[in-house]
Amino acid sequence: MGKRVLLGALAILLVIAAAYGSFYIAPEERTMGVVQRIFYFHVGSAWAGMDAFLVCFICNLLYIWKREQKYDWLGVAAAEVGLVLTTVVLITGPIWAKPAWGIYWTWDARLTSTFVLWLLYVSYLLLRTLVEEPDRRALLSSLFGVFAFIDVPLVFGAIRWWRTQHPAPVIMGGPGSGLDPTMNKVFFFSVFAMHVLTAFLLVERYGLEKMKSDVDVLQREAEAL
Amino acid sequence: MSLLSNTSVLLGKELRTEFRSRELLTTTIVFILMVVVLFSFTFDPTTAESRRFGGGLLWLAFLFAASLMLQPCFLREQNNDTLSSLRLAISDPFAIFLAKLVANTLFLMLTELLMLPVFAVLYNVPILPTFHWLLLVLFLGSLGISVAGTALSAISAQARMRELLLPLLLLPILTPVLVASAEVTVGLLDRDPVMQWKGIGFLAVFDLVFLTALWMFGEYLLEE
Amino acid sequence: MKNLNSVFAAYIIGWGVFFLFYVSIAKRTSDLRTEIERLKNSVTRK
Repeated sequence: MGKRVLLGALAILLVIAAAYGSFYIAPEERTMGVVQRIFYFHVGSAWAGMDAFLVCFICNLLYIWKREQKYDWLGVAAAEVGLVLTTVVLITGPIWAKPAWGIYWTWDARLTSTFVLWLLYVSYLLLRTLVEEPDRRALLSSLFGVFAFIDVPLVFGAIRWWRTQHPAPVIMGGPGSGLDPTMNKVFFFSVFAMHVLTAFLLVERYGLEKMKSDVDVLQREAEAL
Repeated sequence: MSLLSNTSVLLGKELRTEFRSRELLTTTIVFILMVVVLFSFTFDPTTAESRRFGGGLLWLAFLFAASLMLQPCFLREQNNDTLSSLRLAISDPFAIFLAKLVANTLFLMLTELLMLPVFAVLYNVPILPTFHWLLLVLFLGSLGISVAGTALSAISAQARMRELLLPLLLLPILTPVLVASAEVTVGLLDRDPVMQWKGIGFLAVFDLVFLTALWMFGEYLLEE
Repeated sequence: MKNLNSVFAAYIIGWGVFFLFYVSIAKRTSDLRTEIERLKNSVTRK
């Protein structure tokens, strides 16, 4: 119990430190001005989200192979946390886009692909609600999770190719592309902070899933008596 | 029995079942026709706009039609309880999937080829000059739709609300196919047609990746 | 700087989403904990 509280406190501290760095340590960007500071939070969440989905993918594979419930618990936890992070990316993107480009949404390659990514994992979670038996639910969602994850590079690739055919404003020109060294340090610190936050949320969500399973077991015991 | 002979036996069964009643093919063709007509109400199909939007519209229609057409793929087996006997008779689960996806690709292409001239007439778009390339796009795109669709249909058949679930699972997964197919088709229908090989490349990669995934994970999709 | 509002909005909404997610997990966890206690008691009583 103490370890979880420690992790949570660490996560909060790091996130606040990252925000401080984004506002006071990173220099102001030339073309976009102060709005660009959203970048550290926006991209940090995006990378952490992708890593959460990667964890989900690995858990899906492990479940299909080993059939141990803990992989299913971690898998759904990772999918949910990844979805939350991706939601934040999709919300902060337009907030950045409006002052920077005058429009809330731009079908730029990255934002469009992120939207599809979001839809894929929403489908993953929806599938889970439609299968009642726990083992079948775990297997079916693991299989869909595998298909969804291998689709991700194809989605990003295809949309980026399509965008080169029909150029449109890009929200930001790639992380680290011509980033000032101080910006770079703040950026990677942000990414680190978001990952620690993700780890904390994963642990908490995993605990909830495990507890749900314990309740099921106890309920069956109580009914059997 | 080898994979090839198992698959051809099952493929024969799939084709015979469908051509006996032809209900899947007819309903799919009519659905695509309706979508194509309805699209014409949503924008003014002057020739220039038709060329620009036509490719995308066509593939959107194919995608929607496919997500309906793929429903009975495994539901048919479930309703008649034939899946377990199938698994007992055929040792390799991949043969079952291969047969179904080849059949589905054939059905899809049949409906697409029937719809193509209708679309060309209604939207004033030339399909003859680049017909052989269009055929290639139709094949690779339909194959992609079938591979993903057959696999996901096996998943949705085991869940509730399966009619709504299959499109929900299928459409996000097929985004690369839609993007690449539509883009290549638009290029081919242009006044100065151009063949975008990168798009074809994407489709081929998608087909290969998902075929491999189906081969690796097929047996788990059919687990009882 | 008028755009500063956008930056603040982004950070606050973002943190808000994480906070709400955490609160929902914590609430469901504590609800389940009471449920587990209740079930354990009913099992031991029987």
